[in-house]
Amino acid sequence: MVTAMRRTQLFEIHSKTAKMTTFAGFEMPLWYKGIVSEHLAVRNNVGIFDVSHMGRVIITGKDAENFLNHVITNDVSTLTPNSALYSVMCNEKGGIIDDFVVSRLEEEKFLLVPNATNREKDYNWLVKNANGFGVKVEDISDKAAMFAVQGPKAEKTLQSICTTDLSKIERFKCASAKIADVDVFLSRTGYTGEDGFEVYVWNAPLEKPANAVKVWNSILEAGKAFGIEPCGLGARDTLRLEAGLCLYRNDIDEDTTPLEARLSFVVKFQKADFVGKGALLKQKSEGVKRRRVGLQMIEHGIPRPSFRIYDEKGENIGLVTSGTFSPLLKCGIAMAYVQIAQAVEGNIVNVEIRGKMVKAKIVPFPFYETEKYGYKRKTPI
Amino acid sequence: MVKVDGYEVPEGLYYSKDFEWLKIEGDKVRVGITDYAQKQLREIVYAELPSPGTTTKQNEPYGTVESVKAVSDLVAPVSGTIEEVNTEVQSKPELLNEDPYGKGWLLVIKPSNLQAELANLMDFNKAVEWHKSLIQEGK
Repeated sequence: MVTAMRRTQLFEIHSKTAKMTTFAGFEMPLWYKGIVSEHLAVRNNVGIFDVSHMGRVIITGKDAENFLNHVITNDVSTLTPNSALYSVMCNEKGGIIDDFVVSRLEEEKFLLVPNATNREKDYNWLVKNANGFGVKVEDISDKAAMFAVQGPKAEKTLQSICTTDLSKIERFKCASAKIADVDVFLSRTGYTGEDGFEVYVWNAPLEKPANAVKVWNSILEAGKAFGIEPCGLGARDTLRLEAGLCLYRNDIDEDTTPLEARLSFVVKFQKADFVGKGALLKQKSEGVKRRRVGLQMIEHGIPRPSFRIYDEKGENIGLVTSGTFSPLLKCGIAMAYVQIAQAVEGNIVNVEIRGKMVKAKIVPFPFYETEKYGYKRKTPI
Repeated sequence: MVKVDGYEVPEGLYYSKDFEWLKIEGDKVRVGITDYAQKQLREIVYAELPSPGTTTKQNEPYGTVESVKAVSDLVAPVSGTIEEVNTEVQSKPELLNEDPYGKGWLLVIKPSNLQAELANLMDFNKAVEWHKSLIQEGK
């Protein structure tokens, strides 16, 4: 049986202006002008991405906080309304079911944004685990659209068409606002390493995309003065990789734990209990056997997923999970899992690229200099 | 020079279905990738080429070009011995995007069986038709 391709509210616009690709069953833009130029627009100015293919799940009810703290590893009791956090949710073995951002909209109302690949899986897992909790789990993915406006000039772009004072919204904080007379929710989060916002258009069902189109066009128009580019999934991937952010199915999956993936900062062991806690505690006390690292190529070559990594003695010590050409560093970069003894920054390893051993160095995330790029940058815009 | 829906197809060249062009220069041939190929690959960042003296075999890979997103084999349009390699595209792979039929040439080959092998390539007219069908499929 052939399953119909899924589309976002903006499909008509993308199909006329972008080179399209298939991702997680969706027909999505790969690039408009080209991956490198879109990538650099986000690092230097601002870019806009349609990320409506991701999921949107609303969790409401008097037990919403307790329920989320039971299914995810991070602690939502630390969130005040209009703030967000990054987390994973694990199975009983500590394997990662998904990673996402959770926002607290109200005292008893949360928004969870699954990866496109995991929309149905997450919803089903949440519903299954909600048993006994006073909560309602609702999938509103197809009723709302979502864009990411990212880059050092994202705030200026949005501020020019929005009356809410955006300078007051700190990183991982949110606010309701209006853009082009349409109700939106702004969250100062993203998947590029840069400052920026994710814009939720609440009333934009798939069958009636007018509001989504209106907000998209109005941001693009406002961004012209700041060098905005519409960006596809190609640049989204190179940007997140440079920033050292995981892609579900490549770098993390149900056979990977957050401790191996170096996501321990989202695992709050001090919480009374959460799904996977036992297995993760055990792994923590025994120590992990492998760890996610960054690789920067010393010699020419681009590491790609499933390429093998060897030490100087020719021993296979790991595997590449994501790799690309870094438009900023102008060399190959990768995320990889390497045996713990070898997972040391500064260590030189070999990546097997089409039968040839090519030298790479284990480096910290992000790959770029944080003084010059990313949301912590010190250079004035 | 003819443009098929934005893709350049120069006259006087032979073309392979592996997206390479071939130009006869006396008893040698010059080869490279087509405009269609470079536009599909986009932003080429590496070109891996063999050294002079290496032999090529028609329809077999002799190197790779790599873009941000993917790596592609370079497949030889003829058999022979490589006489010259464009080292400039190795240091400046963007030449493949900017000028695929000119400064972005890849190899000069001394062919070993040119007349017979030309029959396996497309001439200009056939190449134009083939580009039209490629574009049709892509839509």
